[in-house]
Amino acid sequence: MKTQELVELLAYRAGPVAPRAVQRRLAGAALAGLVAAAIVIIVGPGVNPQLGAMGAPLIQKLAYLGALALAAGWLTDRASRPGVPSAAAAASVVGVFLAMAGLACVTLISAPAGRAGILLLGSSWSSCPWRIALLSAPALGLLLWAIRTLAPSSGWVAGFAAGLLAGALGALAYSLYCTETSPAFVLVWYSSGALLSALAGAALGSRLLTW
Amino acid sequence: MSDDLESRLRGLWVLAQSGDEAAYRSALTLAAARLRGYFLRRMRTQPDDVEDLVQETLLTIHLQRATYDPALPLTAWLHAIARHKFIDFLRRHGRSGALHDSIDDVDETLLPVVEHDLTARRDIGKLLDRLPAEQRQAILDTKIEGLSVAEAAARSGASESAVKVRVHRGLQRLAAWLRSEA
Repeated sequence: MKTQELVELLAYRAGPVAPRAVQRRLAGAALAGLVAAAIVIIVGPGVNPQLGAMGAPLIQKLAYLGALALAAGWLTDRASRPGVPSAAAAASVVGVFLAMAGLACVTLISAPAGRAGILLLGSSWSSCPWRIALLSAPALGLLLWAIRTLAPSSGWVAGFAAGLLAGALGALAYSLYCTETSPAFVLVWYSSGALLSALAGAALGSRLLTW
Repeated sequence: MSDDLESRLRGLWVLAQSGDEAAYRSALTLAAARLRGYFLRRMRTQPDDVEDLVQETLLTIHLQRATYDPALPLTAWLHAIARHKFIDFLRRHGRSGALHDSIDDVDETLLPVVEHDLTARRDIGKLLDRLPAEQRQAILDTKIEGLSVAEAAARSGASESAVKVRVHRGLQRLAAWLRSEA
């Protein structure tokens, strides 16, 4: 087949491109992954009965994770397209983390002497990151599946971004169950869980996201 | 940007994204000429492979239409895909070390635009025949025989969205074959 014939074939009845097709594909995968993780919490260990009474700490936690998910989602979108710079999106991820780090530092500094250790480690630090990483798995799988139909400049970068987004979503689901209230705890251990997911995403992405 | 192609191509592309078929045909023709120049410049030692790469890249461009962000230069997107395909080609053929041609980006505004087809070694028409019957039929009906999607759906007894999906899947499979064939 000559190239001009291929052009005719591709153009013929090609139809319009759905607006925001990439965003919708990624958002669909992310939302399905979040719902799956929330169902695991609800039918598994159950929702923390004191969740509604948690107040400001819960709002801080959800705001951090929601902002992290949005920033990582933006990065995933940028990284899933060829030749699109992703520095601004990456900076937004760092910005969200630094904002939470600022809040965590304030609470640690203003804490009474001897309390800093409790604020940092809570009662569940050793299990929190692993549980978040596991809860991220459905979103990570769905996101990688979606990105396989796109064209990331770099497989591991797109995989890392998708893993970070999945990690934030897994952490959102985990916060239904978790009883920790300290911003320092959330900063260190929730973020570690999201980072584990991001590393898994990078490793998988470098193998799977070829095109 | 001094790149004349950018302004011409982008205008056509925006029309094409909204469904203007003639604009899409012109845009792909322009893109093909630019891609030919892009690959020729990098593969002076093996020009026989150039047209195959042009066709493989055009197919990818079509399948990846949705990943173009209208806020960014179109040629940057196009060259990123071409560059990816070129590096993939080198990897597949395992001769990146032996190749003297440059992967580095040059001033793309100086690239030649080569409008005449070179000869492709691989025949996409023959690959089309190897597609699963449903996908082949959907592509033949809508893209060669010129039926509308509704007519193709009526002929095959499938829904309109199923016909569209079959066309897309068929083209995806073609692209995968082009990639895996050395």
